[in-house]
Amino acid sequence: MHPSPEYRPGLPEQNDNVSHDHPLKEFAVLLSGVTAFILLAAWSLGLLVDWAAGFISPEMEAVMFSSMQVSGAAVFDKQKDDPRRVELQRLMDELGRCNEVGYPLQVNMAPSKDANAFAFPGGRIVVLEGLLDTIRSENGLSFVLAHEMAHYKHRDHLRGMGRGLVFTALSALLTGAGSDITQLIAPALGIGQARYSQEREALADKLALETLHCFYEHVGGATEFFEAMQEESEEQGRGLGGYFASHPEAVQRIDALRRLASVSGFAERETAPLPTVLKGEHIGSPLRHSK
Amino acid sequence: MDALIQLIFFLTLLTLGYVFGKIAEKKHYRSIIEREKQWVQIPSTSGRRVLSTDREVKRVQLATGSVVISVDYFKRILAGLRNIFGGNVRSYETLVDRARREAVLRMKESCPQADQFINLRLETSSIAKGKKNQIGSVEVLAYGTAVYLYPVATATHP
Repeated sequence: MHPSPEYRPGLPEQNDNVSHDHPLKEFAVLLSGVTAFILLAAWSLGLLVDWAAGFISPEMEAVMFSSMQVSGAAVFDKQKDDPRRVELQRLMDELGRCNEVGYPLQVNMAPSKDANAFAFPGGRIVVLEGLLDTIRSENGLSFVLAHEMAHYKHRDHLRGMGRGLVFTALSALLTGAGSDITQLIAPALGIGQARYSQEREALADKLALETLHCFYEHVGGATEFFEAMQEESEEQGRGLGGYFASHPEAVQRIDALRRLASVSGFAERETAPLPTVLKGEHIGSPLRHSK
Repeated sequence: MDALIQLIFFLTLLTLGYVFGKIAEKKHYRSIIEREKQWVQIPSTSGRRVLSTDREVKRVQLATGSVVISVDYFKRILAGLRNIFGGNVRSYETLVDRARREAVLRMKESCPQADQFINLRLETSSIAKGKKNQIGSVEVLAYGTAVYLYPVATATHP
């Protein structure tokens, strides 16, 4: 090697072209910034939804969701004279004396092995047939119906839908910037949403308990449904998933209901049996077998 | 529950990206520094003239060296977060720095007998540009003129 006199070889002592900050620090700062922004946006928009839901009148709601009723209309029409549906409707109408929702509610059944009931926009409660097999007493069934009615009274069905829209919009906003980030934020949003939903469930449980007391003058059977659910969930085990669940765990709901009952001084007495028409086929309603 | 599974999956990718990205980067820097020490005696300039020397030019040749380096998952997410706020995308700095130095080294290594490299140029291009959810990688091409000189003895006896 014979370098030219113009050229003096040497390597730079330090590399100024790269930053020497720790990347994890930058990551933590940026991530908390994004999360804080999104949570703030979700929280304030959520409050806005709650506020707006109060302005939607039952008539307006019926118009808004009229298209949704078309899909199940044929099945629901066929059910119209089903003695079980008529009985459910009668029970719910009577409960309405203690829990005035303010607009007509309709109850329908859907074939499913799951024990559950849903409150759909437009005032339609759908009871899954599995619930009728699980529930043993009229009081237990009344509690479930009163719980769904409480959701209408609190306008939770509208709030839930509105919040769903807000979260979809927020995640779409993030997807525009880089879809991987959405995955990072989604759990935080999910926990926020789950907590809100659990809170609404607890409120609906409270109103349902009050309705039950007003109707039967005791609260026997209020925890019946959750006890059945608890047995089921014990087999599955929930663990961490509880943080993301939309409904509180059955144990907590039973505890909360018992606490509430003792605070309010609600007595617990013998429950009335389930009306015979509502009993599941395998339990043995002679009427149904003779068909 | 779905969100939880998604998060675990995501965090695993992030950790893998961080750990292996860091290891790969350290290893690469060690190699770069080692080889730069070895090649520092060979002049390489962006000037158009042959550096003044008392020796005659024997021949010249186009020398190229190129490298493609990918970002790891962690760096990509960090850059994505940076995209929202703006500012220096620090996570990509080492990537481009390594690519430039590696390309120059490869160019030099392609002509081990050359005495000088002049007219050195660097071209940078991004691979899979503008396509979402694709591996972001950068290509750097270094090219220049390799100059071969006659030995000193020949120059003194024309």
